Amino acid sequence: MTTASPAVPARKGATLGWLRRLGTPKLIIIVVVAGVIGYLALVPLYYLIWGTFFDANGFTLGGFARAYGDPRVGGMIGNSLWFAVGAAVLSLVVGTALAYLNVRTDVPFKGLFFAASIIPLIIPGILYTIAWIFLASPDIGLLNKLIEPVFGPGFFDVFTVWGMVWVEGLHLSPIVFLLMVAAFRSMDPSLEESALMSGASRWQVFRRVTVPLTRPAIVAAVLVMVVRSLESFEVPALLGLQNGIYVFTSRIYFVLRTYPPDLAAAGALAVGLLVFAVIGVAISNLVGRSGKTYQTVTGKGFRPRPMELGKWRPVMGGVIVLYFFLTVVGPLLVLLYTSLLKFYQAPSTEAFASMSLDNYRQLFDISDAMTALKNSLALGLGSATLVMVLMAVGAWIVVRSRIPGRQLVDHLSFVPLVIPGLVLGLALSFVYLRSPIPIYGTIFILLIAYCTRYMPYGMRYAVTSMHQISAELEESAQVSGASWWQTFRRVLLPLLSPGLLAGWIYILVVSFRELSSSILLYSPGNEVLSILIFEQYENGQFTVLAALGVVMVLTLAVLVIIAYKLGAKVGLRQD
Amino acid sequence: MNTAPLSGRRSGSPAKRALASGSALVLLLAGCGGSPTAAAPQATTGGGPTAAEKLYTEVNGMTGQQRRDKLVPLAEKEGTLDLYTSMTSDVADVVIKAFEDQFNVTVNLYRAGSETVLQRIVQEQKAHYQGNDVVETNATELFDLNSEGVLATYDGERRRMVPDAGRQQGWTATRFNLFAPSWNTKLVTPDQAPKTWEDLADPKWDGKLAMEISDSDWYLTLYGYWKKKGKTDDEINKLFADMAKGAKIVKGHTVQGQLLSAGQFSVVASNYSYIVEQAKAKGAPVDYQPYVEPVIARPNGIGLMKAAKHPAAAMLFTDWLLQEGQALLVKQGLTPAIVEGDDPLKDVEIIPIDVEELTKNGEEWNKRYDQVISNGEQVDGN
Amino acid sequence: MLRINNLVKSFDGERRRRRNSPSAPQEARVFAVNDVSFNVENGQLFTLLGPSGCGKTTTLRSIAGLERPDSGTIEVGGRVLFSTKEGKKPLNVPANERGLGMVFQSYAIWPHMSVFDNVAFPLQVKKRGDRLGRKEISERVMRVLETMELANLADRQATKLSGGQQQRLALARALVIEPPLLLLDEPLSNLDAKLRESLRYELKRVQRELGITSVYVTHDQVEALALSNSIAVMRNGNVVQLGRPREIYENPNCRFVAEFIGTSNFLSGNVVSKDGDRYTVNTVDGQIVLDSAANLPMGTDVIVSVRPEAVEVSTTSRQGEVPNEWKGTVLTRAYLGDSLDHVVGVGKHELRTRGNPTTSIEPGTEVYLRMDPAKLVLVPVD
Repeated sequence: MTTASPAVPARKGATLGWLRRLGTPKLIIIVVVAGVIGYLALVPLYYLIWGTFFDANGFTLGGFARAYGDPRVGGMIGNSLWFAVGAAVLSLVVGTALAYLNVRTDVPFKGLFFAASIIPLIIPGILYTIAWIFLASPDIGLLNKLIEPVFGPGFFDVFTVWGMVWVEGLHLSPIVFLLMVAAFRSMDPSLEESALMSGASRWQVFRRVTVPLTRPAIVAAVLVMVVRSLESFEVPALLGLQNGIYVFTSRIYFVLRTYPPDLAAAGALAVGLLVFAVIGVAISNLVGRSGKTYQTVTGKGFRPRPMELGKWRPVMGGVIVLYFFLTVVGPLLVLLYTSLLKFYQAPSTEAFASMSLDNYRQLFDISDAMTALKNSLALGLGSATLVMVLMAVGAWIVVRSRIPGRQLVDHLSFVPLVIPGLVLGLALSFVYLRSPIPIYGTIFILLIAYCTRYMPYGMRYAVTSMHQISAELEESAQVSGASWWQTFRRVLLPLLSPGLLAGWIYILVVSFRELSSSILLYSPGNEVLSILIFEQYENGQFTVLAALGVVMVLTLAVLVIIAYKLGAKVGLRQD
Repeated sequence: MNTAPLSGRRSGSPAKRALASGSALVLLLAGCGGSPTAAAPQATTGGGPTAAEKLYTEVNGMTGQQRRDKLVPLAEKEGTLDLYTSMTSDVADVVIKAFEDQFNVTVNLYRAGSETVLQRIVQEQKAHYQGNDVVETNATELFDLNSEGVLATYDGERRRMVPDAGRQQGWTATRFNLFAPSWNTKLVTPDQAPKTWEDLADPKWDGKLAMEISDSDWYLTLYGYWKKKGKTDDEINKLFADMAKGAKIVKGHTVQGQLLSAGQFSVVASNYSYIVEQAKAKGAPVDYQPYVEPVIARPNGIGLMKAAKHPAAAMLFTDWLLQEGQALLVKQGLTPAIVEGDDPLKDVEIIPIDVEELTKNGEEWNKRYDQVISNGEQVDGN
Repeated sequence: MLRINNLVKSFDGERRRRRNSPSAPQEARVFAVNDVSFNVENGQLFTLLGPSGCGKTTTLRSIAGLERPDSGTIEVGGRVLFSTKEGKKPLNVPANERGLGMVFQSYAIWPHMSVFDNVAFPLQVKKRGDRLGRKEISERVMRVLETMELANLADRQATKLSGGQQQRLALARALVIEPPLLLLDEPLSNLDAKLRESLRYELKRVQRELGITSVYVTHDQVEALALSNSIAVMRNGNVVQLGRPREIYENPNCRFVAEFIGTSNFLSGNVVSKDGDRYTVNTVDGQIVLDSAANLPMGTDVIVSVRPEAVEVSTTSRQGEVPNEWKGTVLTRAYLGDSLDHVVGVGKHELRTRGNPTTSIEPGTEVYLRMDPAKLVLVPVD
């Protein structure tokens, strides 16, 4: 490859050598993963951008005018931000605190954490929200009835921005919990102990040492939470609208409801979210990138030892139980109660007398129930595994490699977060209806949709874990003679496993709820559980829906327990 | 990529270059196919009638047993029927089962909300993918599908029995969803129950009335009705504004019905009567009768696809749904398009949704309704 | 054995190489390693010594293949690992194909593996053709663990070892492939003082017994002096002095080296006369005579480095018998167990002396300082 060597054999040799180099597993894997990430992200993005900026007459900004031209847009953005930031902060505080207590301290009732972290994720948003209406509506809320003698009627009002923040924040807190558990678990306790020895109080240690060290995870959590809440639909629709609280997504809903769907306006709104998200990813990388600061998994051994809470132990135990009741027992009881009734009514002797298992029986009569369960399981397991494997490599590219353009991989992986599910569905059906590969009409198009939708979460989980692993652990394997792939498989993957497992569980669980793109893309025989939920909802069979919710919670809880048990066998062992 | 760099130094490792070319490939892949969202082409049939259309034309002229005898063997030879519908699953399951029991045809069912059904068909037709033979969904979406040019002409004696409002170009009504006010019987005595639509504007319902966020078709029809009855625009606007004052806005008729049973509010302005009927049948404290008149009816209809793969099955299903199927729909608590024998709604004044106006100015009515329920100032000229 | 020639690594090298513009302005480059060359003989322990940021770790990582230098050559046992000779294709053997052993500062012990697995890893990941059988791997691993006195901990989780055990494990892992060259990156810096000392001798013993050529990076001069066959003192990416420990200690070639290695008193002055090797230097507090092989003209500004142990402190004067006797007052003293330091004020200078603990003089006492001309070092001003 020197200056102008026109001799044919030389060039041939060079090309061959280049090909041989290209053939290394490292390159193949990197190129394939980067290609897949790019492909998954760009297909819907391209569709969205094209639809946003171009119409039949060429370039246009009309979408922006329609999206942001509404006179109420100011108030809407205000509400959205208030709601999103509030929910993000609440979920962050709750999720982080619980993760810390669980991993780092000798807090009692650790068994409850598991349920508290997973169950709110499993309960479909619409059921969780309605359960909260039954609990905290000023008119019919059970909690309000309970405390009415003391505080007067309508003490809690779930139909306010604070109510929305509360419900959304609690519903989202498990994402933070999973992310932070992984972060805390792989942190050397001596980092905290040394601070404790320097005379800092536990709170100071938490604030000055623990939180800064887990900053990449926290930033990732804030980012995902804010975008998620900005996009959240069920809570604003069911709680906000009642009192005329409009948010951003109400707009997206409206512009997509008309025919033909106003993709330009929806795109304009999504582009707004995208800009926000890209800035967020950049910040998160800036924070995570400052060298070795966050590499808390070093090659020095440590024994994860729980910190003793002392006199605070019973207090914290109380807090846990309270939280558990609020996020899990309350909504779940409402669901269970509803699932046994013929129609929802406030608890009374009459209501209890009318209870039966009819709804469950009806559930098993639904012809597609077993198919849907099977499909949902296959898709959930498949997409969770695929995404986490891809993102583990993707995170390596972003965090560890020096390949130029690696940041692009990170940004691309984040793109699907801002793309409305319906737009994703339209984009995928557009592409695969025209693809020579017969994917349209099969379950694989759903798999592609799920992988696309959950890629952003997978990437956040993987990148966060990767930031924590000291580069020396990888370098020492390299110096020991391990190839890139051997290093990846034998050193990085096991060390990443707490984070990867958390991401895997998250994706598995939420994939059961995916509706907005599934509904457009499924075909007869490929029904999934969320379609069933939608149907029961459309049928007005709310009590059957509640029964379905209960069944889903049980199924997924079992799955997640198995995953945790298996996961405990690899990676960093716990005492 | 296949030319060696001419400069003396290597430009980056193979990894870097491969990554760069990888992303280029992705862009290329994503880029093919031109604008994905450009205006819809007048789909499918470029030249003359399709094979399916020829069959439809032939059969459209037949009647009675002759028509059935022609279709059944052809349909059973086709063996399957691909049906896209927004019919709720409890109804659809009964209908499909009865059809499959009667004929040797397997039905592949795709069910989704009417908007999604529309999206899906348009996507598929644009790509010349024949996913369905027949579609059964809401009037609004059927209008849109017809203007996309994908629906074929259907005729026959059963169609001619459907009321005028349900005989549209490209589709035929199969059933009606009735909009009527409903109330919680524990919170509202029969005396207090609304007797007229105007009653809903009564201040006594402030904070107790629920409205649905997407019922602009109900709004425009009632608006037109009042207009016809001689009310001025100002009077009508005031009525709606009074209704909306203190109203609780809900998304989704199902949630609305559920929360009505639970007592979250006392009265719902415009729920589907069948949702309330179902809850009532289970013993929930809700009612919608006696009807507040006029009852506003939204037709749901069926249309044949021009490019159907199983045209005989599609036509047989359409015939069947307008004949045997009608009784099944009644059993499911729905209001059929063709009334035979004793009509339970004989003495009730029913006005159909003004579909013409809806398709012409739907967007504007959406906006106006949006303003009404958000207690916004009255809409100006545009 | 190890030959490093003209190694250069600049921080912006990465970017520059990609842009393919060797003409980037020279002053814009920040050098981590600037033209470093040295050889290490077979079986020797060679130390790169210097303060943090001097480029010693970058040099070591370049040898390991973890950093890519901008230019230079690296050769181990006649095998070229890295080379950028003009006109030849650049060569850079990847780290995992260099076959070297390395101990990291943090030990980089894989926390998810047992002690045995950590050591077995380098053998298990060898290319298929060179890989040993299971049994042989096990034997080799146990042999190395034996040497490191870790055999009884083979099954233990690697994270459950004490600091010293982890250090020995890291060494065992580096040695198990019997590498031609062992790289050690501040391997003792994470240990407490007592353990550090015992492991220092342990390390030396293993290195001598196995006769393994080693490159050792440290900022601790005591460690460097105790372990090394030769030392390269680095500063700002350059090797400032290279030599055996005794040479470096006794004849530092600049103030930086003198200051960095051990403690020294520095007296500045200028050369007033020269008689063969014997120089006379004028300082503000008096004249000093000393021997130096350096060839400096009269009037040159110089610094005289006076090691504390080169100063004899006494309450009695031997004026005239010996050269370089100065009068001063004891300011403080410090008992160090095996020695005793006095700080003595002479005019404007404060001199630290070190001597036998039996000589202990009250602060405030007038004393005489005598400096042996043979033990004083003339250092040119930087």
